Amino acid sequence: MTPQRMMFWQIDLVWLFYLLAALATALFLAGMAAHVLVWKKNAGSLKIPFSKEALKRMVLDSFLGRRILHGEPAAGLMHLLIFWGFLSLFIGTTVLAVHHYLVAFLTGTTYLIFSVAMEIAGLMLLAGLLWALVRRYMQRVPRLERRLEDAVVPLWLLVVGLSGFLLEGLRLSYEQPVWGGWSFAGGWAGALFSASASEAAYPAVWWGHTLLSLSLIAVIPFTKLFHVLGAPAAVYFEGIEKPAALDIEEAGQFDLGDTVFFDACMRCGRCVAVCPSAGAKEPFAPRDFIQAMRRSLWQTHSSFGDVRFLSRGEESDVDKNFWYCTTCRACLEVCPIYGASFEAVTRKRVLAVEEGTQVPKLLNQTLEKLAKYDNPWESSKGQRDAWAKDLNPPDLTKRGVEADLCYFVGCTTSFDDTARGIARSLTKILQTTGASFGILGKKEPCCGDIARRVGELGLFQEQQEKCLELFDRYGITEVVTSSPHCFHTFRNEYPDAPFRARHYTLLLREMLEQGQLRFREQQKTTVTYHDPCYLGRYNRIFDEPREVIRAIPGLNLVEMAHHREDSLCCGGGGGRMWQDLTGEVKMSEIRIREAEATGAKILVTACPLCRIMLEDARKAAGLNETLQVMDLNELVLQALEGVDAEAPGA
Amino acid sequence: MGDVLILGDMKEGSLDTRTLELVGVGRRLAKERGGDLCVLLLGDEPGGGAAEAASYGPAKVYSVAHPLLKGFQPEFWLKALEQVCAQVKPGVFLMSHSYKGMELGPRLACRLGARLTTDCIDLAVDPQDGLLLRTKPVSGGNAISVFKCPGDPQMATVRGKVFEPAAAAEAKGEIVEIAVELDASMARVASLEVVKEEVVALDKADVVVAGGAGLGEEDGFEVLEDLRKALSKSFGNVMIGCSRVAVDKGWISSDHQVGLTGTMISPDIYVAVGISGAIQHLVGMVHSKKIIAINTDAGCNMFKVADYGVVEDFDKIIPALVEKLEGL
Amino acid sequence: MKEMRIIVCAKQIPDPEAPLSDVRVDAENKEVIVDAPQVISPFDENALEAALRITEDLGGTITVLSLGKKVSDTVLRKALAAGADELILLQDDAFDKLDSYSVAQALADAIRKIGDYDLILTGRQAGDWDSGQVGLLLGEILGIPSISLAREISVEEGSVVVKKSTPEGYERVKAALPALVTVSNEVGELRYISRTRMLKMLKGAGSIPSWSTQELGTPSDALNKMCIVELSSPPDMRRNCQFLEGATPDEVAGKLAAVLKSLQ
Repeated sequence: MTPQRMMFWQIDLVWLFYLLAALATALFLAGMAAHVLVWKKNAGSLKIPFSKEALKRMVLDSFLGRRILHGEPAAGLMHLLIFWGFLSLFIGTTVLAVHHYLVAFLTGTTYLIFSVAMEIAGLMLLAGLLWALVRRYMQRVPRLERRLEDAVVPLWLLVVGLSGFLLEGLRLSYEQPVWGGWSFAGGWAGALFSASASEAAYPAVWWGHTLLSLSLIAVIPFTKLFHVLGAPAAVYFEGIEKPAALDIEEAGQFDLGDTVFFDACMRCGRCVAVCPSAGAKEPFAPRDFIQAMRRSLWQTHSSFGDVRFLSRGEESDVDKNFWYCTTCRACLEVCPIYGASFEAVTRKRVLAVEEGTQVPKLLNQTLEKLAKYDNPWESSKGQRDAWAKDLNPPDLTKRGVEADLCYFVGCTTSFDDTARGIARSLTKILQTTGASFGILGKKEPCCGDIARRVGELGLFQEQQEKCLELFDRYGITEVVTSSPHCFHTFRNEYPDAPFRARHYTLLLREMLEQGQLRFREQQKTTVTYHDPCYLGRYNRIFDEPREVIRAIPGLNLVEMAHHREDSLCCGGGGGRMWQDLTGEVKMSEIRIREAEATGAKILVTACPLCRIMLEDARKAAGLNETLQVMDLNELVLQALEGVDAEAPGA
Repeated sequence: MGDVLILGDMKEGSLDTRTLELVGVGRRLAKERGGDLCVLLLGDEPGGGAAEAASYGPAKVYSVAHPLLKGFQPEFWLKALEQVCAQVKPGVFLMSHSYKGMELGPRLACRLGARLTTDCIDLAVDPQDGLLLRTKPVSGGNAISVFKCPGDPQMATVRGKVFEPAAAAEAKGEIVEIAVELDASMARVASLEVVKEEVVALDKADVVVAGGAGLGEEDGFEVLEDLRKALSKSFGNVMIGCSRVAVDKGWISSDHQVGLTGTMISPDIYVAVGISGAIQHLVGMVHSKKIIAINTDAGCNMFKVADYGVVEDFDKIIPALVEKLEGL
Repeated sequence: MKEMRIIVCAKQIPDPEAPLSDVRVDAENKEVIVDAPQVISPFDENALEAALRITEDLGGTITVLSLGKKVSDTVLRKALAAGADELILLQDDAFDKLDSYSVAQALADAIRKIGDYDLILTGRQAGDWDSGQVGLLLGEILGIPSISLAREISVEEGSVVVKKSTPEGYERVKAALPALVTVSNEVGELRYISRTRMLKMLKGAGSIPSWSTQELGTPSDALNKMCIVELSSPPDMRRNCQFLEGATPDEVAGKLAAVLKSLQ
């Protein structure tokens, strides 16, 4: 007899099977419809923009599991086993159906190949599932949860898989076909049973396997299994280009992409593992926040409540703790579906700011100051250029003063004692190299970053208009900033800006290339570099600061455990500098300990907020004697030939 | 020409220091006006306060006692004061700028057709028209204004710890009891409960160690507490104070706030740690006998009003200081 | 219960947060010139917040009054943006530099013109002249009970219950409406008003009524100006600071300890 599969052996009530299948399909479709309906209600429309790029990325990420492999090869491999195992089995079943109802082609060698493929697929699936369970329950990987749903779903699938093999084994044990050896796994399982026992047990096992499989399909939309469809959808939507400027009217609303993201979140917890807020044991974690958003999505738009019935009852008010997020973007870096939790946080902030009563007191005062005095630090513009008094850089707002470059100092660098060192150092560097530059003096407004991060979009727009008007008035086309925040805001959030903005690290690197920076040999010192979130992760500027450091002879650059894309936030961004939120430890202290662990004598950074936060952390950690914090400008100035060494922060 | 009348206050059985300060300035004004100084005391029972007040040599001590004057229900006190003023007809009526003074002063002035100036740091008599020249800080302490107002009596509330408390006098004053008619219907505001709280009486401290933004975090106050304990051994009542920033950040409760919207103090020693010295804070402590400032910013305002300055990290200085103090 | 009507008296002053360096005393014209934007006096903002919380709970309307020689409706519109229902400016040259009693008189005239009200709320003192009297004087002139230094305010069945600060702690008092309460900052920070909302209010809201002495029916000679005899900068608080220095923090601490010992 040619190799082929015995179908529906001993199954008389085949119609029941079809009925159950139809039922399962109906439930599945109903669940899917519920999701789509909720999406539509929340986002307003289901209009799906087309993007080839997004589509390509979705396909590649889904089939290659790139994002899951990213940074965690074990998790990636495990997931690929499950993905390809299941997908192959699913295709296999479909192929079998085609063979049974349409064209009988699975015979002979074709069937044998099919058989082997199915064995391998099945084993892959089982291996993947077992590995998953081991990771979650034995290795107890911290970011993985151990809720009821987390056990039920993989175990269910595991039983489906095992019962499948058992079923095959029983059939083979009875049938004893010559080609049975090709179904090695099933054959092994079947060897445990005698032919008569197999015959007897088969129908029960068949119905059991059938019920389990069909019900698994039916519950896909009702459990976190939804991610098998939701995740690719989310990847697609997150790949659609979003406009740079936030439309104030729509800013507080979640669009279709956000909605799908909330719904598709699989609770993998990679975001929690990298979130500095969660790391500092603050009452915030991106996963919790997104799940809270997901729950409220369902509570608001579905008459039946939360579709994930195993997740019901997990109430939390974490969505009130959205002021903790520093917008460091670590979550986006690792999320398998490119979910930007911090953007969802910002939208909540927009709503809170508009409503008014939930804005924390310190932030309330800070925003008022910003609106009145163009800076969040002092109730006066008078001292904005006090840092420059003895250095006398040209003031571009004075008549007749022109220069190639406008040094946009920024609020924090202008007003904070520690951060002023950055401005003084950069000014001296520019003066030493004879660069043509000027500052805006007292007239310099705020770039608006703080307002933007905490959701005060009206204020952001006002500051944006002030900056654009000023740059236009004084014909400024080249801007260099102290702060990565100003840089990021100018470059990415000022749409159609008629000026080029660079962070000073890019300028220093350019000056280095052009041979304008000549360094003296330094005492042999080990230094380490902290990548500011808004310079590194947001704008992918990792190499330029390092090139500058390496160019200084005598300095040995070592890296902290978390560096480049993994850099740990100092805790100053997202408006946190002007609030007082803490967890069990301070984020900045965690970071300073990492710096200490490298054995470096100097921790170099390139952002005024980082400079302040890390300086305070150094004092709080009692590292005054062993570690120094310096901005890259301060480091460079100290090493420049022809310049008197000056103590940092002076 | 009416007399200078002072509303006195009792604290734990004896005259409040504020009252003694009022006596001091009252004496001078009475002399300038060529009239007498009188002291007024209200309470639910006639007490020893009158005798003590008399020992400071006013011409008269008016003592008013009535059961409804128990505690402090402003409406009853106001009615009593109205009746006393109708009888005594003072030319000048002074109260301390205190809780009672602010509850009573404005409303009494209104009822008497007088004009009150609050929080005066100096008082004098205009030689030309005999009216009171009232000096007070305005604009949050950014300016000093001298006011003159029409009206009879001339009224003012006087800031505490500005004038020296009077010394007892040789001549003793005459104690005069005044009866007032009060009844419960006069009060439209009913007191439901009076609750004592743990109140930080900063103005009673001899030495205040205050922390501000420069502490960097809440734990900074633990360092200051060590200093407070060490100083307590040799300095009597040593307390912790703070600037408004520390309160805003939630590091410490507002009871400890020194400044315009906190407590105004003038202790023997004020140690300002990590406080830059914004004007609203300075006005609250600038009259301290000795001011010591510890701050990493050599150019900050606090050093400009300090007697001794240390430009150093408080975290380095204070633990070492505590050690040295314990060694001494 | 019929709808509550609350009147909030809010004063416009130069930003009290402005540093000393931005303040100039014009001794000749007896004016304090502050180089800072005009704002609503902070305690009056607290009064507005208290009013908003009461009406959020019990319903009702809030009318905001602001008196001055010239009152910027840009600044005061913040009250409308925050949720007040009505804003009335009291502007007249005669309102320039009035003494507290006259201010209270003019406010009382305005309130009588408005008609019925249940509660008047205002800040305990304003950040410019710091006199702290107008609230209580207003209550006297209107003949209604007054309560000062409120930390918490609630309204129940025709009465106002106030938790007020006292030197030893607090006291809870009750008075029948209509009544006047002056508030302290414990009553709550004014909710944040987004720039978007503020700009909408600036563009959208119709014209703001402005009453002069004529509309109030206040005879000009009834109002008295403050009689400022002299206005000066504060005396120099500067002292000669002796800086204690040393090679190590330990050395400096030693010197400081010696200083403290000498002050015993």
